[in-house]
Amino acid sequence: MSEQTGYTVASDTEIAIGIDIGTFQCRLAVWNGSQVELIRNTRNQKLMKSYVTFSDESPSPVGGVSNQLSHEYEMLSGATIFNMKRLIGRLDTDPIVSKASKTLPFLIQTLGIGVRPFIAALVNNIWRSTTPEEVLAIYLLELKALAEARLKRPVRDVVLTVPAAFSRFQLVRIARSCAMAGLHVLRLMPEPAAVALLYAQQQMPKNMGDSGSEKIGLIFNMGAGYCDVAVIATAGGVSQMKGLAGSSIGGEDLLQNTMHWLVPEMDSLFSSHGLEEIKSMGILRVATQDAIHQLSSQASVQIDIDLGNGTRICRVIDVEEFEEINKDVFEKCVSLITQCLRDSKVVKAEYIDDVILVGGCSSIPKIRQIVTGICKRSETEIYSGINPMEAAVRGAALEGALASGVNDPLGNLDLLTIQVNAHSIGVRANRNTFVPIIDRNTTLPARREMVFTTAHENQTEALIVVYEEVDDANQLLLGYFKVVGIPAARSGVPEISVCMDIDASNMLRVMAGVIMPGSGPRKPVVPLMEVRMPTADGGHGLCADALNKILGSNLDLVCPHGKLNT
Amino acid sequence: MCCSHGFVSRIPTTPPPLLSPRTHIPIPPTIRLPMVTGVAKSIRTKWVSAAVKDGGSAVTETIREDLSFYELLGIPETVTFVEIKQAYKQLARKYHPDVSPPGRVEEYTQRFIMVQEAYETLSDPDRRALYDRDLAMGIQFAFSSRNQIRNQEKMEKGEWRGQWQSQLSELRKRSMYKESGDNMSWAARMRRERQQSSS
Repeated sequence: MSEQTGYTVASDTEIAIGIDIGTFQCRLAVWNGSQVELIRNTRNQKLMKSYVTFSDESPSPVGGVSNQLSHEYEMLSGATIFNMKRLIGRLDTDPIVSKASKTLPFLIQTLGIGVRPFIAALVNNIWRSTTPEEVLAIYLLELKALAEARLKRPVRDVVLTVPAAFSRFQLVRIARSCAMAGLHVLRLMPEPAAVALLYAQQQMPKNMGDSGSEKIGLIFNMGAGYCDVAVIATAGGVSQMKGLAGSSIGGEDLLQNTMHWLVPEMDSLFSSHGLEEIKSMGILRVATQDAIHQLSSQASVQIDIDLGNGTRICRVIDVEEFEEINKDVFEKCVSLITQCLRDSKVVKAEYIDDVILVGGCSSIPKIRQIVTGICKRSETEIYSGINPMEAAVRGAALEGALASGVNDPLGNLDLLTIQVNAHSIGVRANRNTFVPIIDRNTTLPARREMVFTTAHENQTEALIVVYEEVDDANQLLLGYFKVVGIPAARSGVPEISVCMDIDASNMLRVMAGVIMPGSGPRKPVVPLMEVRMPTADGGHGLCADALNKILGSNLDLVCPHGKLNT
Repeated sequence: MCCSHGFVSRIPTTPPPLLSPRTHIPIPPTIRLPMVTGVAKSIRTKWVSAAVKDGGSAVTETIREDLSFYELLGIPETVTFVEIKQAYKQLARKYHPDVSPPGRVEEYTQRFIMVQEAYETLSDPDRRALYDRDLAMGIQFAFSSRNQIRNQEKMEKGEWRGQWQSQLSELRKRSMYKESGDNMSWAARMRRERQQSSS
């Protein structure tokens, strides 16, 4: 069969490389024919900082792949853009963006009206505008060049890991950045799914065909920008995701909170983004970062810094204080894990075979305590077979090999991950209620259909407003379209069917059609609508507000099926 | 229509009509009505996806949708949970779009969604019992037919769930009975004819 369908043989298949772009650091890996290998940069580093510096001296901006910082302060001069992964695909109404605008040395202007924030780097005392996508594309281009130099071949296909919390807007933007860098995305893979793949490979039974006993694993991944939790059931190379949850919390929040604790008035202090302020902000950031790192291994740290404008900070912070300052972040971690366990129907912590802790924040004692506490393990029982800093990129490289159709004669690539979607997708109905059609944690690919009807007499048009529920009660408007030509009838008579479909490449389609019951053959009365989502872009916050105003006005009073809200 | 909205100029000038899910119509007290085959119901709820599929590719013709969940997983009706799981994993390995040959991704996706639904139903003891009961009564729910019930199920927990569900399906059957001229919808007739001709 392989001859007929024109399969390329493994030797001349382009094997997609795996990229894990972290908020703070980035790694590259590739399947080398027998195993996964991390690609090092010219300075022999496996971990590369995620940033891009703009300057007038070099013809093009330089990123953390090729550049070597003489000191961390260099990154904090305003000329360097970092935290792209936290900012990409977000609107200026997003609390993450407004918090970032007050704590990052480069410029993030927010108008708070639901448009994309204005981002700029300071070059020769001029704020020069850019976008997170552009910065990411520049960075990806450096990664591409590095991979090509190391592998001595052109690199085009990539598998990227993304946080589970990413909205469809963020996924679109990431894919766009890749396209700008001349990369072709085979998969955008949730980070826990990549870790699951690596775990599944490690758990593979020696003799083929034997499905082995099923093992339940809990994956907790927390980096600088995001936190993901997944529960997976693995047997015989097949890992099936039972639950997936994610949130935009990470080391950056710990850092920001601690900075605020040290300098409570920092928001107003740094708001002008003058040269002096940027410098003091940099000093504060570096000192806080160092302190947090030290708190992973010692009980308290003395911070003694001169912010340069006559302000001197001299304080001692201990672990208890640090945990109190960041209570909200840690509580969110707890709720993510419990939600994921509940969704996965893992009723007892004892059912979990392995607790897998990965990501940059996995060394923070409180995090380890939370995860082991919920899973009822001791610290020594944390799964030790995976390098916490390399897990995601190794999984991505495995997926890269699988998606490129590589066959391993030893069966090391006889793997499959069955994934779920992290967010519910639905429509607005019943006045102003979000009605999920594809629930979160639905196995992908998926197709679900739900029948609606008109709310008013002789209603000839219906508006389908599609939302993605990224967090509890926080829905993003993905797009909308009208179904027209509904025959005049009493309210509740026409059948308006809405079908949602997520295919193997995670593309979402929404289909809708109308049927009038009782009139012979059940045929749609008007042509079906088939819409790829998201259709809203850029100012989708504005659209959502406008639509919500319209749909919500006066109508909230009559919501006869209130239980849908739960 | 119902109320005056303060529209911005760029927004369509007709007030956006609202949708309300038909499945949330309050359920009247139990009404027992003559049994109409449930197959029709399944077609009722999934006509959009069917239409899209038909328009999509010809390969889907090869996928038989009238198989029971057991037939689909290739297992007898007496199997244990462990065996169901094994059968599912085997089929997932075969039909998951990630492992499909290039060019047949859509067909494999289709199949995988069916296998997944069969597995989800049969691996849940409550839902399997319900499905077995329907099967014994000669009702065959095809794919996606239970989605709406399942969505409800998540919200409504308790012992009365099963009873309530049967009320719901009765209600649906009743509404169909009302709508179709002769006890049976067009789709149900077609399905029955096809079954008869194939057996």
